[in-house]
Amino acid sequence: MERRSFLQAGVAAAAASAGLSGPALSQGAAARTLRFVPQANLANFDPIWGTQYVVRNASAAVWDTLYGVNDKLEPQPQMVEGHTVSSDGLTWTFKLREGLRFHDGEPVLAKDVVASITRWMPRDPMGQMIRAIQQELVALDDRSFRWVLKSRFPKLIYALAKTNTPILFIMPERIARTDPFTQITEYIGSGPMRFVRNEWVPGAKAVFQKFDQYVPRNEPASWLAGGKRIMVDRLEWTVMPDPATASAALQNGEVDWWENPITDLIPVLRRNRNIAVDIADPLGNIGSFRMNHLHPPFNSQKIRQAVLAAMSQEDYMRALVGDDNNLWKALPGFFTPGTPGYTEAGGDILKGPRNMDLAKRLLQEGGYRNEPVVCVVAQDQPITKAMGDVTADLLKRMGMNVDFVATDWGTTGQRRAMKNPPNQGGWSMFHSWHAGADCVNPAAYNAVRANGDGAWFGWPNVPSVEQGVTEWFEAPNETAEKAAMDKINSEAIENVVYAPTGFFLGYQAWRRNVSGVVKGPLPFFWGVSKS
Amino acid sequence: MWAYIIRRILATIPVMAIVALFVFSLLYLAPGDPAAVIAGDQATPADVERIRESLGLDRPYLVRFGAWAWDIFRGDLGTSIFTNLPVSTMIQQRIEPTLSLMVVTLILAVSIAVPMGVIAAWKQGTTIDRFVMAFAVLGFSVPVFVVGYVLAYIFALELDWLPVQGYTPFANGFFPWIENLILPAIALGGVYIALIARITRATMLEVLSQDYIRTARAKGAGQRSILFVHALKNAAVPIVTVVGIGVALLIGGAVVTESVFAIPGLGRLTVDAILRRDYPVIQGVILLFSFVYVLVNLLIDLSYTFFDPRIRY
Repeated sequence: MERRSFLQAGVAAAAASAGLSGPALSQGAAARTLRFVPQANLANFDPIWGTQYVVRNASAAVWDTLYGVNDKLEPQPQMVEGHTVSSDGLTWTFKLREGLRFHDGEPVLAKDVVASITRWMPRDPMGQMIRAIQQELVALDDRSFRWVLKSRFPKLIYALAKTNTPILFIMPERIARTDPFTQITEYIGSGPMRFVRNEWVPGAKAVFQKFDQYVPRNEPASWLAGGKRIMVDRLEWTVMPDPATASAALQNGEVDWWENPITDLIPVLRRNRNIAVDIADPLGNIGSFRMNHLHPPFNSQKIRQAVLAAMSQEDYMRALVGDDNNLWKALPGFFTPGTPGYTEAGGDILKGPRNMDLAKRLLQEGGYRNEPVVCVVAQDQPITKAMGDVTADLLKRMGMNVDFVATDWGTTGQRRAMKNPPNQGGWSMFHSWHAGADCVNPAAYNAVRANGDGAWFGWPNVPSVEQGVTEWFEAPNETAEKAAMDKINSEAIENVVYAPTGFFLGYQAWRRNVSGVVKGPLPFFWGVSKS
Repeated sequence: MWAYIIRRILATIPVMAIVALFVFSLLYLAPGDPAAVIAGDQATPADVERIRESLGLDRPYLVRFGAWAWDIFRGDLGTSIFTNLPVSTMIQQRIEPTLSLMVVTLILAVSIAVPMGVIAAWKQGTTIDRFVMAFAVLGFSVPVFVVGYVLAYIFALELDWLPVQGYTPFANGFFPWIENLILPAIALGGVYIALIARITRATMLEVLSQDYIRTARAKGAGQRSILFVHALKNAAVPIVTVVGIGVALLIGGAVVTESVFAIPGLGRLTVDAILRRDYPVIQGVILLFSFVYVLVNLLIDLSYTFFDPRIRY
């Protein structure tokens, strides 16, 4: 007995069923609706104001970009037809391709692009660098705009194409004029899907419809680049906070694609012949043990090095992903494995058997006086919770005095911003993780920066790392870029900007009647169809 | 009677004011920062500070409370920090699923628990009585989420009789609406059934030992008439009181149930808001829950006059 017959037998027979309507979704309509379970709740929808990954992922369907990186991490023209650069490298002139329209029917104009860039720059690390050297950014006509810089910035196109938040999405001028620290109230893009605002229930559901007037590029789609052809009429995001529920819904055919199934449930999903399971993002994630460089004990370089000498990345990774060896790698460095800039320069301290004797000696040399190590560990994030448990054990074995503060992510977010000493509401360490897509180079990799007060939480101040970053930005070719990344890696390890706990991957799962799902740093809905 | 109702409704105003002050103060003192959540993990401290300023979170306690209280006084629950939507709109979006779940659970629980308690009292000391008591212990002991997962596994995954998750509005038809609510209502109703069944049994045992029941028996009244007309009506006041108190249980249980069955109701809205520190939403929802609870208790008090004509207001 199946669902409909059960209900009809049990309830309908006793009721005046003629007056009670049933679901009327036809097979065809169901096939044209893709039901997706995202990684998190789409609580807001402004990709510049809120930089959570889930906002970026939804925004990529609604707003288009000037350039987009492909699966080889190469920037490709997307909304632009092309660009020219003056011989001195200071004047960039861009031309938009024909046929671009916003979802309200208005054409995309150069003035919209200028306003969008202006709003994006203060919120993006690369944008801030460009703004600091910007002389002029003007629309020349409806389809052309010019960007004049005071000094060369060879990575400009990469900045416009990158996948890490905030992405430069193009909005209508009237919306893009909103202060970048204030949320927009209209969600009008020119991307391949339209956001159905009146069906949005934050925390539960978000709906997108195919935008019929979108003109895809002719090239095949590849990540954020190429022809973004939408194969379904409607995309429904259903937020499911409970992984067991999402797993059951996928098995039952109530949803089609689950962005981030937890590792524990993968064997169950794999046993179901209607479900396909594969790696979600080949660029994975990098685990982070972030130390406070301002206060004892981790203001001592030797004590930070002691952590590197003692930590077993295998322990961290097994705590995160279990026994699936396909899901993790040791990472004696800071950059994403498998990408052109990956380097292990200076990473010896993270390789080989762990050396607790060396760690204890470094603690002594660093002048450790049994100060409490305030570990702020978010328990509501499975990744930080698992890493936090390993860290508590590690530090205790090293002979450190652990003050374990079990809290939630919201509190961690507030506490890590405090520069007070640990015993006055501050902190000594916290865990986080960084998307591998953000760590392929130093362009948007805040966590590896070491410019003191301007650096990410922990505020490392290591001029040699910053020198390496500058060299990378100015590098004229790949060889020079590689040399700069070697320098950053070795200096960041030597000074322990932070302690990488390893590289790990995650899965995605979908019903086999769905095709076109690709691996990437975010879920790409173009090219995905359903039978 | 009407004077009593008006007095009770007016009395809710200071209660709600105290709840408002308490909730606001508690959230103000609680750690956590919505600006940090909004800014995302890659944001710099300066970005977080700018967002905090733009949201007015850097203003002093009294200024923030005064502004919020004034808005509440004018009937404005405020705007969500995260979604930029009015809190009243977010509550409106979410109230139907929660109300549906609570009503279905209430109907299910009362229609199962009251007869169970009556029969257990009637058959005191028999296997039936022991079965009812064992069920009550089980209902109290097994957490809602465990019952939820087991039900979903059996009836959705294995038998494919009912959906795993979600909610369909009543406007889309009775069957789609009810099929999404059956499993959550059973899961949520377990504790409630146990509570009502136990109190019904205990009260009925006391009533069944009264002289007027013996008189009714002596006059030849039938068993059904004795149980459901003479005894149950006289036992109703404590039972109805427990049903009212149990609404608080339902509100608390709805938070878990809505997460397990992915029902987009007020319970999940509350949890999401708490995790993100979306203060206006938390404050709005808690005020609503408080009001509902006060209102339910008023209705319960008024219902006493129906069950016991000696009670007059």
